[in-house]
Amino acid sequence: SGELMDLIRREGQRMTAAQPSETTVGNMVRRVLKVIREEYGRLHGRSEESDQQESLHKLLTSGGLSEDFSTPYPPLRANVIEAINELLIELEGTTDNIAMQALEHIHSNEVIMTIGYSRTVEAFLKEAARKRKFQVIVAECAPFCQGHEMAVRLSKENIETTVMSDAAIFAVMSRVNKVIIGTKTILANGALIAVSGTHTLALAAKHHSTPLIVCAPMFKLSPQFLNEEDSFHKFVSPQEVLPFTEGEILAKINIHCPVFDYVPPELITLFISNIGGNAPSYIYRLMSELYHPDDYEL
Amino acid sequence: CLADLIETFRAQLRDDPDVASAVAAIRVLLGFLKQDRGETIQGLRSSLLAAIETLSGVDSSVAVLSGGELFLRFISLTSLEYSDYSKCKEIMIERGEIFLRKVSLSRNKIAKLCHPFIRDGARILTHAYSRVVLRVLEAAVESKKRFSVYVTESQPDQAGQKMAKALRKLNIPVTVILDAAVGYIMEKVDLVLVGAEGVVESGGIINKIGTNQIAVCAKAQNKPFYVVAESFKFVRLYPLNQQDVPDKFKYKADTLKTNQNLTEEHPWIDYTSPSLITLLFTDLGVLTPSAVSDELIKLYL
Repeated sequence: SGELMDLIRREGQRMTAAQPSETTVGNMVRRVLKVIREEYGRLHGRSEESDQQESLHKLLTSGGLSEDFSTPYPPLRANVIEAINELLIELEGTTDNIAMQALEHIHSNEVIMTIGYSRTVEAFLKEAARKRKFQVIVAECAPFCQGHEMAVRLSKENIETTVMSDAAIFAVMSRVNKVIIGTKTILANGALIAVSGTHTLALAAKHHSTPLIVCAPMFKLSPQFLNEEDSFHKFVSPQEVLPFTEGEILAKINIHCPVFDYVPPELITLFISNIGGNAPSYIYRLMSELYHPDDYEL
Repeated sequence: CLADLIETFRAQLRDDPDVASAVAAIRVLLGFLKQDRGETIQGLRSSLLAAIETLSGVDSSVAVLSGGELFLRFISLTSLEYSDYSKCKEIMIERGEIFLRKVSLSRNKIAKLCHPFIRDGARILTHAYSRVVLRVLEAAVESKKRFSVYVTESQPDQAGQKMAKALRKLNIPVTVILDAAVGYIMEKVDLVLVGAEGVVESGGIINKIGTNQIAVCAKAQNKPFYVVAESFKFVRLYPLNQQDVPDKFKYKADTLKTNQNLTEEHPWIDYTSPSLITLLFTDLGVLTPSAVSDELIKLYL
């Protein structure tokens, strides 16, 4: 199984190098590697209680250095395939699992704010709308204005929706009860990489002490930190910001169109994922359950 | 026999100034274990407790205490697995050697984890003399990064000057600043990187006096405050404020023995609360302050 893991790791490195901002690819590779380690450990006869992580306890009690994965076991392949199928089933059910928690968090006559378009948040709000009546304010999230699509979909379910520009976020925040957003990635310290404009929303919510709830499935949790590579910075064509028809000005100015924003963990109140609600300070624990520390660097 | 212990400890610290005092303490205790003539676990425990007391009499820092407690815990865990005393002792000695070997690699592990957080062109502020921070900065230089460092002078022993000298040897541009100038320099700095003498259960740290001030200034100006510490420095204390830190750590061992009135003495360490710390880099990985207590619980419960 050591060879299998090396193969998977190599493929994972190639895929993540191709598009570094799509962190879920790397996350899934790490999950599969953890599955393989677990199945190997189970067959190797190690008890399931034993901690795979580095810990002070392990430093003191282990008899030798870490194991190698060279012993072949015929049933390993079938076990791994079964475990991966379970993983697939879990992934398919994530949006429903998150939506099922909607009723605990949304109450009648509340004003909810969100930004841009997130399928998870859409399902979350739709599920709550079946039993409760509330209003939603959607920030349009320029320059792609995906907020418009979100508003159309929500209003089809008879939810009272208002669209407003990003500049009005702070002005309206005093009337909002909760902010619910989706995200692209959750980092290891509990921070977010989310769509551009989310940091503004988070700061406004903090200023008014409005709870900020992030709905995101566990496969978005990535064991990386914000550091020198800054590979999450993705810039697209500035055509959206200033179209090419404005030819004369283009030579004299620099235009950027970043896609993502970094939101620090202090601004977030709660993470709602397919395994339940958690505080940002608890993220390190969820990470140790999903991934093995040797796999953090693919 | 206890007097020899003190001599061996002093010799260890003298011959190898690069080794952490907790590691030296554990090495000395392992040697003590090898020579012990007792026949029972209880006897072993009580003689070890006496040995740790004497070692704290030489060097009263938190690190010696954490090293000692870790060793005691190590003994208890091993003795639970094997009931036969002589077999148990063999296993303990073997595991002790493995532990010491692993621990000597911990600084390199930390350096590998930490240096990606230092960007090209960064300005770093550090406090007093820390061998772990030195190792991290060395690793950053090896990966061809350019950065500059501000070191606080760190009175009363001017440890900052020692740090500056070591950094100049690595060709890093260094500026020594007054302890009082931290608030002034904070706006120019990109990140703060300090070592720790002890990491407490809440995720806070105990370090040379002045660290708390730097952490408060960093928080006020939104600069990240990073701590680098090896995992054997984790200690089972939970101070809620500066007064909760026991006096035996605040003052040097000689002062405690000679002086009865401690209100006239200046403390050598202070406590920095976890809310001021951004991340801790340890050989167990990069931890948020809330993850520290989890690690301690895994060991002690």
